[in-house]
Amino acid sequence: MDKPNAPLVRSHCVGTTAVVYASDYLNRLTGEKIERECRRQLDCGCRALVIDFSDTKLVNSIGISILLGIIDVAEKCGARIVFSEVNNQTVQLFEMLGLTRHVALAKDESEALLTLSGFETTPIVH
Amino acid sequence: MNRGSSSENFRRILGRVAPSDFVGRTDELAAVMAHAAPDNAGRGLLLLMEPSAGVSELLRQAYDRIFNQRNEVIPIYFAFTRNETTAVSAAIEFLNTFLQQYIAFRRNEPFVSNATLTLQDLLELALPADHEWVEQLVESYARLRFSNDDKALVRFCLGAPQRIPAGRGRPLIMLDGAQLADYLNGVVVLGTEVLRVFGRGGFTFVLAGLRRQILAAAHEAECNFELLDLLRLKRLSAKEASLLVEHVAQRQHVVTSEAARDLLVQQFAGSPFFINSFLQAAREKRVALNSYLDCERLYVDELFGGHLHRHFVYLLEEISPRLETRHLLIRLLWEAAAGEDQVSSFEVWRKRLHITAGELQEVLHRLHVQEFVNWDGTSVEAGTGPQAWKDYLKTRYRLDVLGEPRALVVADALADALKRAPHTMARHYKQIARISLREIISRFNTQRVPAVLFDYATFSRKYKGLEPERLASDLDADTEQFKLPQTVHLASCVAFNSDMRQISEDERCLVAHTFEDGIYSDAQEVVWLIADLESKLEVDIEVARAWVERFESLAGRLGFSRFQVWLISNEGFTEDASRLLARRKAFGSSRRQLELLAARISEMPVNSVVHTGEANEFLVVVPMGEDNELIAASTAEQIAKRLTFRPEAINQIKTAIVEACINASEHSFSPDRKIYQRFRLESDRLVVTISSRGVVPTNLNGASGHSDTTEAAEERRGWGLKLIRTLMDEVEFERVDDGTSLRMTKYVRDTAS
Repeated sequence: MDKPNAPLVRSHCVGTTAVVYASDYLNRLTGEKIERECRRQLDCGCRALVIDFSDTKLVNSIGISILLGIIDVAEKCGARIVFSEVNNQTVQLFEMLGLTRHVALAKDESEALLTLSGFETTPIVH
Repeated sequence: MNRGSSSENFRRILGRVAPSDFVGRTDELAAVMAHAAPDNAGRGLLLLMEPSAGVSELLRQAYDRIFNQRNEVIPIYFAFTRNETTAVSAAIEFLNTFLQQYIAFRRNEPFVSNATLTLQDLLELALPADHEWVEQLVESYARLRFSNDDKALVRFCLGAPQRIPAGRGRPLIMLDGAQLADYLNGVVVLGTEVLRVFGRGGFTFVLAGLRRQILAAAHEAECNFELLDLLRLKRLSAKEASLLVEHVAQRQHVVTSEAARDLLVQQFAGSPFFINSFLQAAREKRVALNSYLDCERLYVDELFGGHLHRHFVYLLEEISPRLETRHLLIRLLWEAAAGEDQVSSFEVWRKRLHITAGELQEVLHRLHVQEFVNWDGTSVEAGTGPQAWKDYLKTRYRLDVLGEPRALVVADALADALKRAPHTMARHYKQIARISLREIISRFNTQRVPAVLFDYATFSRKYKGLEPERLASDLDADTEQFKLPQTVHLASCVAFNSDMRQISEDERCLVAHTFEDGIYSDAQEVVWLIADLESKLEVDIEVARAWVERFESLAGRLGFSRFQVWLISNEGFTEDASRLLARRKAFGSSRRQLELLAARISEMPVNSVVHTGEANEFLVVVPMGEDNELIAASTAEQIAKRLTFRPEAINQIKTAIVEACINASEHSFSPDRKIYQRFRLESDRLVVTISSRGVVPTNLNGASGHSDTTEAAEERRGWGLKLIRTLMDEVEFERVDDGTSLRMTKYVRDTAS
């Protein structure tokens, strides 16, 4: 069983940027886990988010709808957000549903961090 | 199997169906059988039935079982029929039946029960041990028969079972009064007289009849209620009625589809009488009932000239024997039912029917007994009764009063019935899906549950996204508990304020009278006002405010000094709405919270079945939920690989199937909670059909429906369909009788194309 405060999805921080890893299937439950983790990171002071889709093989519309909610939350907090390593099929879906208008895509995590580096502020530890 | 029907030598005597085919009244049959026990000697059992609830076969089955037991209990079954026009003729028929069945039992010769025999024949058939008392009975009858004392004759005939000498068996008299008319011609009121004879002790009997008639007659006859037991025969449950339809259809060799059977159950509200009559008509007309159209065509035929038509004609003739009054009555009943205010005064009815107060009292009493109106002595409420009655009334009104062309009325009736059928089923499915709300609240009984289950904002913050197991354990560890009150009365809001009908469905808006800690004092009394809101997304502040104010106003009008508002929405509430609820001390829960609450105070049903397919067509059935769309998606992947689809195309197929499954799960209110998937491989394409039973999602029809969501939010939830249409080459929705079917085709294309 998970420890009480263990994160629900894999994540780590690079400076004030949090990198959150999506699982193989992005649906309601896994989407909510990502949302929860992103909110937690923002509450802890992160100023930018990278959501990494390198493991993600399949997404559904509810999962995408939750991603849009995360983008809204990040915008409200003034945080930047980048999606990294999204496969072609998923990119197509994001484009169809207009998600790519609101978020930058990066080839991989390094590129995402590089994209966000201009926005780096004082590092925090948590 | 019940005792009495298990023997290989079981003989069917009066029962019209084999014991194994008798479905839906198991408990009631057990109660009648138990009434034959020695402990109940001298007691009466009143079976109070709703009109058209059906009771005759129940008593005939009991007769057969008791006869076959061959112990000291002698079953006597007698049905009062419309053929008997006077109390005297009915009583004489009873005497004949009693002697016939007594002798059949004593001789252990069932065929005697069904033979056509005179009293003289019966005297000759009586066993030597019975000959003397039977002869005396017949002689006494002959003397009384030609006296002018009808009342004495009726009492003599009905009281005949009391003349059985000791040691010759103990009779259980079962009287089928479903058609018992207490207004038979003549001076003797039969219903009252029957109860006067049987209900004053000495007899072991069962009397079944219309609930409003039998109870009134028992009071009229000054029965000894200490010696009477009551059993209410309600309409069959959907499950029982469904089983009945299946059995009767099989027996009558009528082909039916599952969707048609479910429709019949709902349309006839589980009435065994209507179901039997209808399926009999289907057999007579050699009609298969495979679709809603098949059912409604036959239904309309029945309304205009079949069994249903004759049933209502008989009833109307009994209620109002005079043709002229009957004509006015049809007009008045329909206009009152169709009007806005269905309640009118006795005086208005008297003027409209042009009859005396005494005559009107009789008419209203008969209408009331049949539950076609509610009459309390001063005012009359129309618009009650089964749907078939309302449909019949409307057709008679249009034909007889308005003089409209028959073809037009028939066509309209058919169109109306067809349009109503999907709504009838949708209402039923929604009720199944929502039934938990009523059940959950009725089970409130001072249990302690996590308080967070009534607070969406906190729940969302603390628990959203947790795995079910972790969520359950965290909830167990949650220290903030809320003690549920004890529910003592639960009803639809509509029962308190009919205006609520325009805002919410009956079962989705409830008023629960409760007591905290189960202590019945003013200080502990709290009325819960509960609404289950239709919404695909989080409910916003405007909607939440409107409901809170609506309930506050209702509580003020009804004088609820302490009340608790509880709003439930599928996806919970926006932050603004949650803050408003907190300020107004109202509870707010999502469907998930409700399910968690239900799991803590009751057991929730579980579904799961999977079937396999054949040849180049594959049929997969998966239960809704639990990410089962992935099973469908990986099945599709395996099948698609056989046609050398490109990996991208396979992914597109998988995503489309996932979306179709989600759509089916989210919108259908499916009764069986299953998704049916058919994969058909053709030379150049894969055809996938996803279907589910239940409600047709409004967005498939292009209708917006009533929902408390913004356009943007609606659009976001319409993404699934948008994706499906983009990812597949052909997408076709087929509206079937009982839900939807989504047919998606993907063509194989080589890389170059």
